[in-house]
Amino acid sequence: MTNTQIPAVRPQRPAAPPAPAPRRSARDRGTRLLATLFLAPTIVGIVVFTVVPIIGSVVLSLFHWNVIDDPSFAGAANYREVFTDSTVLVSFGNTLLFMVLAVALQLVIALVLALAVNGRMPVWLRSVFRSAFFFPLVLSAASISVVMKYLFNQDFGVVNWLLGLVGVAPVPWLTSENAAMATVILVYVWQQFGFSFLLFVGGLNNIPKEIHEAAALDGATGLRKHLGITLPLLSPTLLVASVVGIINALQVFEQPYVLTNGGPGDATRTVVMVIYESAFEQLRFGAASAVGVLLFVLIMAVTALQFRLSRRFVHYQ
Amino acid sequence: MTDSNPTRRTLLRYGAYGAGAAALAGTAASWDRLTGADIPGRDDGSLVVATLGPAYGPEAVRTLTEGFKQVHPDIKLRINAVQAVDWSDFFAKILTQIAAGTAPDLVYVATEGVQLFAQRLGVPLDDWVKRDAEELREYFADVHPSLVESMMYEGSLYQLPVEFNAADMYLNHQVLERAGAGFPSADWTRDDFTALLRDMKQASGSQFTPYFWTNRLWGGVVPWLFANDTNLLAESKAPGGDWLWDSFYPAAAREGRGGGYRWTTPQATDARVEEAYDYLASLVQEGLCTRPEGGNGQNLIGVFSTGRVGVTPAGGFWAGGLHLAGMKGDAFDVQYFPRWRTQRMQFGAAGYALLRTSKRQEEAWEFIKYAARRDTLTRLFSTNQTTPARRSMLTAERYRETGPEHWPVFYDTLDKFPDTGPIPAPPQVAEVEQVLLKHTGTALASRRSVGPALRRMQGDLEKAMERDV
Repeated sequence: MTNTQIPAVRPQRPAAPPAPAPRRSARDRGTRLLATLFLAPTIVGIVVFTVVPIIGSVVLSLFHWNVIDDPSFAGAANYREVFTDSTVLVSFGNTLLFMVLAVALQLVIALVLALAVNGRMPVWLRSVFRSAFFFPLVLSAASISVVMKYLFNQDFGVVNWLLGLVGVAPVPWLTSENAAMATVILVYVWQQFGFSFLLFVGGLNNIPKEIHEAAALDGATGLRKHLGITLPLLSPTLLVASVVGIINALQVFEQPYVLTNGGPGDATRTVVMVIYESAFEQLRFGAASAVGVLLFVLIMAVTALQFRLSRRFVHYQ
Repeated sequence: MTDSNPTRRTLLRYGAYGAGAAALAGTAASWDRLTGADIPGRDDGSLVVATLGPAYGPEAVRTLTEGFKQVHPDIKLRINAVQAVDWSDFFAKILTQIAAGTAPDLVYVATEGVQLFAQRLGVPLDDWVKRDAEELREYFADVHPSLVESMMYEGSLYQLPVEFNAADMYLNHQVLERAGAGFPSADWTRDDFTALLRDMKQASGSQFTPYFWTNRLWGGVVPWLFANDTNLLAESKAPGGDWLWDSFYPAAAREGRGGGYRWTTPQATDARVEEAYDYLASLVQEGLCTRPEGGNGQNLIGVFSTGRVGVTPAGGFWAGGLHLAGMKGDAFDVQYFPRWRTQRMQFGAAGYALLRTSKRQEEAWEFIKYAARRDTLTRLFSTNQTTPARRSMLTAERYRETGPEHWPVFYDTLDKFPDTGPIPAPPQVAEVEQVLLKHTGTALASRRSVGPALRRMQGDLEKAMERDV
């Protein structure tokens, strides 16, 4: 040991002059050009089909336009109208309610089924279930809704006929304010849960078996194992499934449009339905754009909130 | 020794160049498809006629085009059959075409859109009608003035009606027999109707609905409003139209006619409107009919033909529809809508509207005349998918195969009830219809719901009518 005192702070060396920016070689430029070429179609597509329409909608929301006459500047009038229109406000409420219930139900069902299918089961049977659960997703939502409208018809529907066999009185699935939203959610979830299901199956396959084996040695079983290990490790997949699910649910249109046309009253009228009706039925394209812009903001806000919260709840291995 | 194999980077680069070139070549090759320039008749000076797709199959399109070509070989014609579920959907698509700058010359328009098109897009046919009066005399003599009047707006005629459908009552014979009920008389009342529904319900099982109707503007609650001598909107007639009535109709037929209908002040809270809703709510409560769903009534054909529905309002279009569904002509029949305070009934009509943007208005007028000819309509409506606007076309021979036995009811709805009129369809019709459907759904939840729902309907209708389309 020496008596030499080590200074608490070492004297700073004079700063080295900044290195000159490296000259890009021809090879680098070629690489950049190549990357740009590969990305160009996607970028052009996004700009033409996403960015431009968004800007167009924002601009159009500041005008009155009925397709037939020239647009006239409206300023914030369309937005004022939106915030005082009870139908629009109700539709936002309906959409948020739909989002919460549909996404929660979708995720729970998908997760339970994914865990079941991922358990001890012959490979061929697993494939059958995967295909069966995913199948509704590849069908047209409008077609499914037309069929469901027949199935849920109060008087002639198969559902009420089956309930009648066990003595249950006919339920006004689509014509009662209390039942209509539940029916629309049911149909939507039946079609959509396959997507989350596939994500969860993929996510479960990525969880190393050793972790479960170690947990089993420590005595963890069943629900305890899933709550303590499976769910935390599946949280990135849960985040993706919930983000996509929420974005889709906030834009729901086909099911309520075909099944109930937003009724009875406004019970199942959603924001996208209001946009469609305002634009293409009432010829109020400015007002429709204003609602569209607000929906865009809502989706962005909800998605941002999800990512913010994900920092606390999502665990990456 | 140099390596003659290209590097991965070189391969990638040339691959990208190749892909880019292929993309550009593909785009160039399919440019006509992408821009719709390869659509036959597009931008080649053809007269473009937009029709409601489902009503105009390939056979009908061929009939129109080939027949027109024989009469006018010098005019190119293109029928654009727009697929849509109903009239409002059809209008939405037409308006989208107009917004895109690809407006047709002529559009097939029903009562729902007559005033909207007339006010904003249509060309009045007055001058042409006056010019070709002699040629059209036979047409007007064959068409009921109520149909013609429904195609007028503020004194001018905008369309020649070629078809219509009034809301009459269809009854299933099998159900009538099961209930031990006879076929109702022409002057049956609302109470007779209710009693018949009760008999039907009593005689049938739980999987049976005596009266089924669809929540829509045509054939929904409106026929009951008419029967109770009221309407959703205050109805009056525009002045004018004498130029037409004096030229083509005898004094008796033109009495009380004007320049088209005006639907103005909402009157959803009118006592008679409430009475009509109250009656329907009582039917729902008694299990004689269900709370109505929206839609176009397509799902009804199957359940009516299998005897799970006893009575339903429909027009002449159902004669063809039920026949197509396999129902024998003697298995059902049709009667007027029951009388309440009046026996005024409602109808919707359709014809071709000429758009202001058309550069081929003379040719378009020739098509309008051709489309209203008897031989054209006979070929076009051979399957009884609608009621022809020409009285002379309704014959026993036409309905011999499809039924119903009381087919004269279709046209007599106009002839015997001259006050029978069109459904209320002002230029703001889309919003009016939406408000009607929305609040009808809630009004019929229970009898106590009627008043509050109608008050909300009144408020929404007032807002809708204040809006300039």
